[in-house]
Amino acid sequence: MALTRRDFLKWSGMATVAGACLSLGFDLKPVRSHAAGLKIKQAKETTTICPYCAVGCGQIVHTDKQSGQIINTEGDPDHPINEGALCAKGASLYQLAVNPARVTSVLYRAPLSDKWEVKSWDWALDRIAQNVKRDRDAGFALKNDKGQVVNRVTNIAHIGSAAMDNEECWLMQAIMRALGLVYIEHRGPRSSTWTRASRAPPPRPTSTPPCARAPTSPSWAA
Amino acid sequence: MPGKYFVVDTTKCTACRGCQVACKQWNKLPAEETKNWGSHQNPQDLSYNTYRLVRFNEYPAVVNSMVWYFFTDACRHCLYPPCKDEADRYVKDAIVIDDATGAIIYTDKTKGFGDKFDNVRRACPYDIPRQDAKTGVVSKCHMCLDRVSEGLLPACAKSCPTGALVFGDEEPMKKLAEARLAEAKKKFGDKAEIIDSDDVRVLYLVVDDKKKYAQSA
Repeated sequence: MALTRRDFLKWSGMATVAGACLSLGFDLKPVRSHAAGLKIKQAKETTTICPYCAVGCGQIVHTDKQSGQIINTEGDPDHPINEGALCAKGASLYQLAVNPARVTSVLYRAPLSDKWEVKSWDWALDRIAQNVKRDRDAGFALKNDKGQVVNRVTNIAHIGSAAMDNEECWLMQAIMRALGLVYIEHRGPRSSTWTRASRAPPPRPTSTPPCARAPTSPSWAA
Repeated sequence: MPGKYFVVDTTKCTACRGCQVACKQWNKLPAEETKNWGSHQNPQDLSYNTYRLVRFNEYPAVVNSMVWYFFTDACRHCLYPPCKDEADRYVKDAIVIDDATGAIIYTDKTKGFGDKFDNVRRACPYDIPRQDAKTGVVSKCHMCLDRVSEGLLPACAKSCPTGALVFGDEEPMKKLAEARLAEAKKKFGDKAEIIDSDDVRVLYLVVDDKKKYAQSA
């Protein structure tokens, strides 16, 4: 988890630089040059699940094969939930990684302090590990009042990010359950209560043009 | 006229603005600095960096307490674009028409308009073109010609979750527009129309006076 997170941040930092360069390369000159360079043509396609709400739309992330940097994100037409469609939030997924406003280093505010300090990941992870160890050792309960085996930690709670994907959520669950935590909460319900699976988009119309990965749902347009 | 067409069924639009954001994302256009001006319409208007904008308009209604009209506004890709007629007087071929799709494309030569840009903008019946204050280049929706030429949907139509914004060849799109118009007339009455259906490649279905959707609709 620690390594993944670190690599992820390093990688997204590079993507930020790439994004800045890309935005300059928009050439409208002759019509043909406009049509010629489809920037995702040679890109690597990776599928993922939109992290924002409970609908769970499929997305394709296009990355440059040489640099590994994100070029584009868009709905996955092969995904049964959204069949290529996305809402405004999902359509902005690109900015989750490629964003000059993104915090790319550890910021630490000490107790009672009023300012942030830049720290290294090694420092932060060690500190978190030490604090978790200290509190878990103090609060771990083998048995409850009735003498039943519970193996739980009730003096630590976890509240997780609403912008984590399926795999990250699994990792978080695995770690927290292994520690014995019982108060495990995802932040999603605070912001996305109204977005349930019932809100998933209806099938796509049949009258869409031939495209590389055309949706194939029936009888919509009539 | 052959080529590509959009159908915009405003009765199906929920104003999620997926199209607006997908357009920004694909074209890597920067965000606008905005403020709360009392409407969800955000940013307030089209700009050099905003090719597509979902307009929100509220009115008192006869039956319900109010109606709320949503209108995803962008270039209509006119069959005979008046902006090009005007622009050709200043800079030849600053605005060009793509043969295969009929997309109206603004090239970098548009920066040659200078202070004549206002005339070009006024020539557009829908008030679409916008000029960059710094470079003088003029921009608007280009039908995602790079995508469409490779058989992909434009970013906006690809993202639309409700099927309000659909893209395709002439025949199926005109058929769809007619079918939806007939449905809309049944439900909303005879005010329903396809705006300027013989002149443009973006067929907007509205169920009320088009000016209620956008001043320049």
